[in-house]
Amino acid sequence: MDVDTRNMTPTNLIDKIVVPGDVVLDLTKMENQTIKLGSGLRQDCDCISVLQAGKLRLSKPNKYWVESSQKRYVPSLEDTVLGIVVEHRSDNFLVDIKAPNLAFLPVLAFEGGTRRNIPKFETGTLIYARVVKANGIMNPELSCTDASGKAAEFGQLKNGYMFETSTGLARMLLSSPTCPVLEALGKKISFETAVGFNGRVWVNASSPDDVILVSNAIMRSEFLSGTQQRIMAEKLLQRLEKV
Amino acid sequence: MEDRTDGRNANQLRPLGCSRTILNRAHGSARWSQGNTIVLAAVYGPKAGTKKGENPEKASFEVIWKPKTGQIGKQEREYEMILKRTLQSICLVNVHPNTTTSVIVQVVGDDGSLLPCAINASCAALVDAGIPMKHLAVSISCGLMEEGSIILDLTKSEEEKLKAFAYLVFPNSPLSVIDKVHSSKEEPIEHGIITSVSYGAMPVSGYFDCLERGRAASAAISEFLRRSLQKQSSEDASRAAQ
Repeated sequence: MDVDTRNMTPTNLIDKIVVPGDVVLDLTKMENQTIKLGSGLRQDCDCISVLQAGKLRLSKPNKYWVESSQKRYVPSLEDTVLGIVVEHRSDNFLVDIKAPNLAFLPVLAFEGGTRRNIPKFETGTLIYARVVKANGIMNPELSCTDASGKAAEFGQLKNGYMFETSTGLARMLLSSPTCPVLEALGKKISFETAVGFNGRVWVNASSPDDVILVSNAIMRSEFLSGTQQRIMAEKLLQRLEKV
Repeated sequence: MEDRTDGRNANQLRPLGCSRTILNRAHGSARWSQGNTIVLAAVYGPKAGTKKGENPEKASFEVIWKPKTGQIGKQEREYEMILKRTLQSICLVNVHPNTTTSVIVQVVGDDGSLLPCAINASCAALVDAGIPMKHLAVSISCGLMEEGSIILDLTKSEEEKLKAFAYLVFPNSPLSVIDKVHSSKEEPIEHGIITSVSYGAMPVSGYFDCLERGRAASAAISEFLRRSLQKQSSEDASRAAQ
């Protein structure tokens, strides 16, 4: 049993499912190289070991990470997330983004925000924002403007329907080229969506039937391949046209 | 060698079963069964804030043990404490300081080896929730018979009859790209031990025999856990397509 694992080279674990404790890189064999570690990996003296179970990925030349899908979210810089306002303090909104800590959204972090025109968000308001500060220790900070200070679609999302998904499905919906299920639905229905990296999706369309159809199609598409997603979306669309 | 009541030989484990992501609302969940001993574990967290006596520079763990019947008493509190210490030692507590992760353990069936089954279930649930861990924990029960032989994975009737038995928790055997020959001067990680709970009086040699047998058997459980973690992702695809 032990003999098999002795002669594994790093390429053998790439694109394989790894569990916490697996050693994926031996740093003593790689000198004068810079490697970048993404989520799910940590450096343990002379080796890189796995923190979370998932698929090990390599993006050439030197970026390694573990792809896994969870119900909770670990904030990282420049992610766009959907948050729900929990409280309004004097200089921040406290926003829940499914992270270990509540996020702060400064009251002035809006386009043209001054002390005189502070938005009035009640508890329960859905906000589309961008993460501007995220380390493991402090509460993450959000902003409703892009890097140049413009509003750019950030802010409150009104009407529509929000549902929660895993982080893996959210990443798939945000991948480029466009996710097959969204493409297939977009050909027949006009709708708008906002997808947060933290596993929340908001859908809005002109009629409630369309909103329900799009939401169900997205929720079902998590583990399907591209072709299966298109077939599933077409079946759902046919049902609506019959009625 | 005496025959065991269910026909197993001394080194044979009961059939293992593991399924993950079975609870909708929990952030991570797992159900682990060893024969008729079945335990369901759910993980919530990390959530903000720590309890009063805990160190805010580390993540803290809270374990709630729910027995199948009856009120919560000292036995349950003891299990909670053992489980909490075990989980704290396998998880990385510096990644999310000032947070609390709750693990709720529900006993569905009890036919001996309850604590090892609960530890295995909690470990699988923590993996499901994506809590950062140093390695996995694999747990097994070993009993010492009258004449000095060891039996593994005890049932309830065997636990009641034996003079002494122990629950042992070992780290799992990791896959490694490092050539083990080069690092042979260090002990491999699976030679460590995380937790040991012993009941009854046994001689020192008997205890070390238990450790040896338990460690050897933990490799099989570790392999089973790895396979069930790998299989889960392909099963999800077929389950969702229905």
